[in-house]
Amino acid sequence: MQQQQAGGSETEVTWGDQQNINQFGRLNNRFHDLEEEIKAAKESNENLEDAGNELILTDEEVVRFQIGEVFAHVPRDEVETRIEEMKELTTKNLERLEQEKVSILSQMAELKKVLYAKFGDSINLEED
Amino acid sequence: MASSATATERRGIPGAQFVEDVETYLTQSGLDVNSALSFLQERLQQYRVVEMKLLAQQRDLQAKIPDIEKCLDVVATLQSKKGTGEALIADFEIAEGIYSRASIDESDLVCLWLGANVMLEYSCEEATALLQKNLENAKASLEVLIADLQFLRDQVTITQVTVARVYNWDVHQRRLRQSTAAVKET
Repeated sequence: MQQQQAGGSETEVTWGDQQNINQFGRLNNRFHDLEEEIKAAKESNENLEDAGNELILTDEEVVRFQIGEVFAHVPRDEVETRIEEMKELTTKNLERLEQEKVSILSQMAELKKVLYAKFGDSINLEED
Repeated sequence: MASSATATERRGIPGAQFVEDVETYLTQSGLDVNSALSFLQERLQQYRVVEMKLLAQQRDLQAKIPDIEKCLDVVATLQSKKGTGEALIADFEIAEGIYSRASIDESDLVCLWLGANVMLEYSCEEATALLQKNLENAKASLEVLIADLQFLRDQVTITQVTVARVYNWDVHQRRLRQSTAAVKET
């Protein structure tokens, strides 16, 4: 859990500072959520890879493909196409999430600079 | 002067007052340090309770959305089978680990489970439209919820910072009193 303590006996906390602290908190929360989402997306990608590989190995013509809660009998080629489409979606999603993560990390670094400059030891912005 | 530039409350969540100057805040509210600290701690507790509630709602919505997307998938699959003359063969679970096979003939109609033991028949297009609308509503509700949580967390942060500042101010005051008392004695 991130700890934010501010306000030494000398430095006054302005509304602007408070907003920076709030923003840092928001970014940090979003960062953790992103890490979870990225993990899930990577897992999903791996599963699709495995499924694709299994598909190449199997010699069945009809594959049971999960749609909703049921497994529909779908011809192999269609399954291959579907898996490719799903992989593309997850990869694009993953890219978008990684980009957001980079942007958030740089915003957080900026805010850290500003807040440490003003409060120094009175504030702690690191993870435990 | 204590001022708050944020909304004073949002959908039932009380806004945290930003304190410009601790001394003014204490004189204005007429509280001594301990009462102020306990008031702020109480506020933090209230915020935690609301946060739990919102997080639970968020989890529910986040489970609901993939559910609706799965239903849309199924209806789309049924629609794509129309006109091919083939029946859709599917394996479905009737009990844990036990599956049965179903042959679903072409049909224009699907039944949607609306909850509360109610199931209605729709045409494929109507079903898709209904599910789409539900999906959009769920996504919109989720966005509002996330904004609520952000507002709430901001108020928690403001309150925590105020607690720290009131405490530090008190420590500072005690040191001042001790040093003046020491000066008087010499």
